[in-house]
Amino acid sequence: MTLSTFKHAKISGIKTVIPQGYIDIDNELEYFDNNPKKLERAKKMVGYGRRYIADDLTTVTDMAVDAAEKLIQEMKINKEEIDALIFVNQKPDYKEPNDACLAHGRLDLKKDCAILDINMGCSGYVNSLWTAFSMIESGAIKNCLLLAGDLNGRTIDPSDRKKAPVFGDAVSASFIEYCAEENPSYFVIGTDGKGWNKILYPIGGTKIPFTHENIDLRIEDENGYYWDAKQSILKGEDVFNFTMDVAPKLMNDTMQFAQWNIEDVDLFSIHQANYQIVSSIMRKAALPADKVPSDVFSKYANNSTTSVVTVLCDQQKPLGKTILCAFGVGLAWGGAALDLTNTYNGGISTYYPPKEQVSHQKQIENWIKYFKGEENE
Amino acid sequence: MNKEEFLTQMQDVLQTEEELSFDTVLDDLVEWDSLSVMATMAFLETSFNVKTNMNDYKSMKTIGDIARKAGL
Repeated sequence: MTLSTFKHAKISGIKTVIPQGYIDIDNELEYFDNNPKKLERAKKMVGYGRRYIADDLTTVTDMAVDAAEKLIQEMKINKEEIDALIFVNQKPDYKEPNDACLAHGRLDLKKDCAILDINMGCSGYVNSLWTAFSMIESGAIKNCLLLAGDLNGRTIDPSDRKKAPVFGDAVSASFIEYCAEENPSYFVIGTDGKGWNKILYPIGGTKIPFTHENIDLRIEDENGYYWDAKQSILKGEDVFNFTMDVAPKLMNDTMQFAQWNIEDVDLFSIHQANYQIVSSIMRKAALPADKVPSDVFSKYANNSTTSVVTVLCDQQKPLGKTILCAFGVGLAWGGAALDLTNTYNGGISTYYPPKEQVSHQKQIENWIKYFKGEENE
Repeated sequence: MNKEEFLTQMQDVLQTEEELSFDTVLDDLVEWDSLSVMATMAFLETSFNVKTNMNDYKSMKTIGDIARKAGL
């Protein structure tokens, strides 16, 4: 367990964007044998509701750039003064270069700006925040734009009923700055790499690249859930047990480290894995329900990396002393005790794609021209 | 939690209207599905501090088996 205290870094502002398109579980009755009772039962047990899904041509960087531009405009941030950009996601636009480079270019940031991609899932925001705070506290940089999100909603096949109803798309931008006055924050970070195979995409990396032979693999289990070559395997029961081992303790360790009591905390932002998991953590850690939003999953689904930020941006009241608690793929986890009293909350806005989106086929044609040196013809 | 309370709670956990007893066979309940397994795992964990895994559920046949796992 890594315990870190920072005194001179703060989150100055946050902003979340979601896609226009969404799916309501109420409109998916066919997956519940057309039986409204079965649908209502699943809603009550897991918390299924609405999930926002990006269109096929929108990438995580498109949404991140939009969130950042909105935050920069709303907070009147001078782009010339941005020292570093961190982007945390697991569904990048390209294999190379990384998304932080793409975002840097599209945001027109200055050239003496450090960039860093962090490949982490559900615990990624807290781990990236810890990285940004470390860089600021060390004096390496004065500020950092942190982009976080993933497009699990877009990339999971809707007929994959184990995962499709669970994940929704969202991307956030946070601005982290040095502060001269003391603003202590406390982080508890942990990893169990032996659990690497509890949530993973076995095929498509360098270990097992896609081939014509494996790309059509599709296997069904006894519950009627399936795994295909392009999708991940999620061992739900093991992940649940991991979460129960780690998350309630993480919450208490973080509070203890910060020397905060439950009464001191205004908000517990728990990674919205699903309603059942959030409410189980709440019960096990004996947290008061009025300080633990558990309906965010039903409103936006599981936004993976940026889920704890979705909870913050969804708040209709000013932020205050906040505990972040995130856990998942890795397996990895992170807790943070932060005073967000003076943090600008830009809330949740809609991302509108450009009117003229370029189809994948047209993009490939453009790359062929680029390769041949014909792009100006 | 006594046995009566356990049965009432299990009804809520499984979201079933069926009257439950310790002899109720899990596979006879239409609601005994993957959602129910997860819900039962959460119930045993949060109410009894008892951790279960998929192998446990493969060997449990009745509601009584779940209760015994909970220590009742």
